[in-house]
Amino acid sequence: MNVLTQLWGSDKVKNMLEVHNISKRFFLPKPLFSPFQKNKEILALDQVSFKLNPGRILALLGPNGAGKTTLLKILSTLILPDQGTAKILGYDLITQSQSLKSRIGLVFSEEKGFYWRLSGRQNLEFFGILYNLSPARIKEKTRYLSNLLEIDDLDKPFQNYSSGMKQRLSLLRCLLSEPEIIFMDEPTSRLDPAGALNFRKFIKEKLVRELGKTVFFTTHQISEAESLADEIAIMDKGRIKAFGKPDEIKIKYGLNKDSTLEELYLKTINEENEA
Amino acid sequence: MKPDISLRKLLAFLKRDLLINASYRAAFLFDLISILSSVVTFFFIAKLFGGKAAEHLADYGGDYFSFVLIGIAFSGYMSAAMGSFTEAISEEQAYGTLEAIVLSPTKISTVLICSSIWKFIFTSFRVIVYLFLGWLFFDLNLSRANLSSSLIILALTIISFSALGILSASFTLIFKRGDPLNWLFYGASRLLGGVYFPIAVLPIGLQKISFFLPLTYCLEAVRKSLILGSSVKEILPQILSLVFFSALFFPLSIFSFKSALKKAQKNGSLLYS
Repeated sequence: MNVLTQLWGSDKVKNMLEVHNISKRFFLPKPLFSPFQKNKEILALDQVSFKLNPGRILALLGPNGAGKTTLLKILSTLILPDQGTAKILGYDLITQSQSLKSRIGLVFSEEKGFYWRLSGRQNLEFFGILYNLSPARIKEKTRYLSNLLEIDDLDKPFQNYSSGMKQRLSLLRCLLSEPEIIFMDEPTSRLDPAGALNFRKFIKEKLVRELGKTVFFTTHQISEAESLADEIAIMDKGRIKAFGKPDEIKIKYGLNKDSTLEELYLKTINEENEA
Repeated sequence: MKPDISLRKLLAFLKRDLLINASYRAAFLFDLISILSSVVTFFFIAKLFGGKAAEHLADYGGDYFSFVLIGIAFSGYMSAAMGSFTEAISEEQAYGTLEAIVLSPTKISTVLICSSIWKFIFTSFRVIVYLFLGWLFFDLNLSRANLSSSLIILALTIISFSALGILSASFTLIFKRGDPLNWLFYGASRLLGGVYFPIAVLPIGLQKISFFLPLTYCLEAVRKSLILGSSVKEILPQILSLVFFSALFFPLSIFSFKSALKKAQKNGSLLYS
């Protein structure tokens, strides 16, 4: 019985992720010659709250600058919120972040995040040890996951991999530590259409349905959210405008079930502007 | 922020740094050439001065070449300690790997310490190359060297400079570039710490400043133990001075690093250079 099954069956964790009123402001530096001018601030997240059940896929949709990546970085413990908190797998995001780190994973959107002069295998061995895995366990898991993800050559320098292969390596690294919830920042943004399709299929069929992981990803692509997600959050100007199953949100916004997600997205984003 | 260092993690960092550095073979070759060129340069400068410098170097055996070679070689530990912690952060930021590291359960203090070990090992290798070249080609005489007192001084030097290095890394976390501490200590130590000439030749005002620099005590003691074979007892004043610097700077550096790290995580700037 894996950890997720144990948790699922118990009352310990009803929600994989519970976010309560998270807010985050960033301050822009003062102009060089205006020392008396106040710092400009940007409200990146404004009292964001939602819940996500285990084994679900949540897509976070929104325009550029909506706060998607900031939310993802806060939930993956990379930056601290100004206000509010979250519970992930029952752990408090702020006070128990160290215990939480070995149970969550993040797949980056950029090609950075690996040592380009090292091979794929050497990178995986290094990061595996940071997750307190033994060399034998890293070897065993690397073999299993590279087969699963169809990565054929782990011994060439990272810089020589294609974008698609780099993305798969990023996912492989994330899966090494057996995280129960996986955050992904625009996971298919650098992949060609066929590569993106395969990646989405892998997430849905293998990661979630077979391995029982929970996935939270950000995307610009409405079609990606539609094909992959069980639940959708639409975010704009640091606030969650709509959250839930696509059909339920459509009804809530006065659309019928046959309406496209694109119509829902535009209606949600434009609602405040029109008002 | 207590580090969670294990031998396995330490070796993983060493392996990573060795593999990355070994992939830049030309840089390694040019480093060896620069050491050789530096040794040759100071050999001829020493030859030029000959016995004229001997009166100022009586406390160190009277030979300028031995004096300066040890000064240059061992001041490398100061550069390594002052720069390695800052570089550990800025290099990870540049590679884009800091996010992946911060995401792991390994503490940032462990990353910082483990990332700096390679620099100290490589500096030790450079010191050996300096001394070996000096001995092989230029009659550097270390026959009286007291290895145990040299190693004690070396350990204390690394500890006291590391404290300054961690303090310096705190500035880097917040300001990213333009670390005043590194500039102040590194610049002042190279000039006034007795790397190229004994501090006795400096005007009395500058000599007083040199008493506040750990490098002054490090070089004084390491020269005495390597050239004259001084025992631990004979270099006790320098040992106590370095213990004092370590005790003063270490708690300060840990406190400032903790505060800087929290601030960087709060304002979201930890991951960017």
